[in-house]
Amino acid sequence: MRRGVGFWSAIAIGLVLAGFVWLLATRDSSRSRLADSPLLGKPAPVLAGDTLAGESFELETRSGRWVVVNFFATWCVPCVREHPELVRFSQRHLAEGDAEVVSVQFDRNDEDRLRRFFERNGGDWPVVADPEGRIALDYGVTGIPESFLVDPDGFVVSKIVGGVSADQLDALVAAAEEQREAAS
Amino acid sequence: MRRWGAWAVMAIVVTGALVYGTVDEGSARTTEDRARSIAASLRCPTCRSQSVLESDSTQAQAIRTDIVRRLQAGQTEGEITGYYVSRFGEQIRLRPDSGGVAGLVWVLPVVALVIAVAGLGFAFRRWRVQAGREVTDADRLLVERARGRWRRRPT
Repeated sequence: MRRGVGFWSAIAIGLVLAGFVWLLATRDSSRSRLADSPLLGKPAPVLAGDTLAGESFELETRSGRWVVVNFFATWCVPCVREHPELVRFSQRHLAEGDAEVVSVQFDRNDEDRLRRFFERNGGDWPVVADPEGRIALDYGVTGIPESFLVDPDGFVVSKIVGGVSADQLDALVAAAEEQREAAS
Repeated sequence: MRRWGAWAVMAIVVTGALVYGTVDEGSARTTEDRARSIAASLRCPTCRSQSVLESDSTQAQAIRTDIVRRLQAGQTEGEITGYYVSRFGEQIRLRPDSGGVAGLVWVLPVVALVIAVAGLGFAFRRWRVQAGREVTDADRLLVERARGRWRRRPT
């Protein structure tokens, strides 16, 4: 029996639709995902500035430990949601001192609001001001929250778009440590 | 022959105008003009389908300020665009790069257009040649038979 044009057109459209469904069903959630970045495997861009505590901060001086560079804003709901996870990660590594968090304020948050945010939500790591947004440009930030994992040698090993969890960060550190050991 | 000559002249004039419009940068531009041109060629990283020039987002404003600062520091447009590509990746460009493999994005549509026009011209020529054929007795017989079948068809 000969099939008409309509039959084959319907088959083609059905296949395309099935392809779309498969594509959407197999992609990771956009809530939190490892993202590609030209910075991966390269030295972390300079991160220096005044902190909320009135001290000066330089990422370079943190070599020898893992650093999570987190871009956030107080008005960003996913940032508020991920904050307890950053606190958990920071506390887990407080005793050993092998990893720490540094936050960079994205957008123009006034200092009082930032202080209230940390008083309310916890966390006592450095919060670096970025009034002109230059640090965010150097890191190629495309939205918040966004985090970069920097290894003890100062190289960017991961970029995470969306909220992170303490377990996820620890898994990334463990995987990167394995790679470093394998390479050495 | 004269008709083909007119088409050829028109093709040369159109191609020349397109090349001139694409390549010529006009007279020397101010820093503001150059900054606007670079901002228009970059995609706003935090918003969808807007250039850095059009967007009011914090990131777009920071990029506009940064572009002016870099131009004043003596960086070229290529260097500035290169910096943003090195931070955000190729997707920061609103217009694909015209060099290397990315240049195919510009070349392929032109090649496809030329092939399509050539194909149409060839097809028209073939159809015209076919239209000039003599009708044979065999052709007439075929038509008569078909018409007979049509008349006998039950209504």
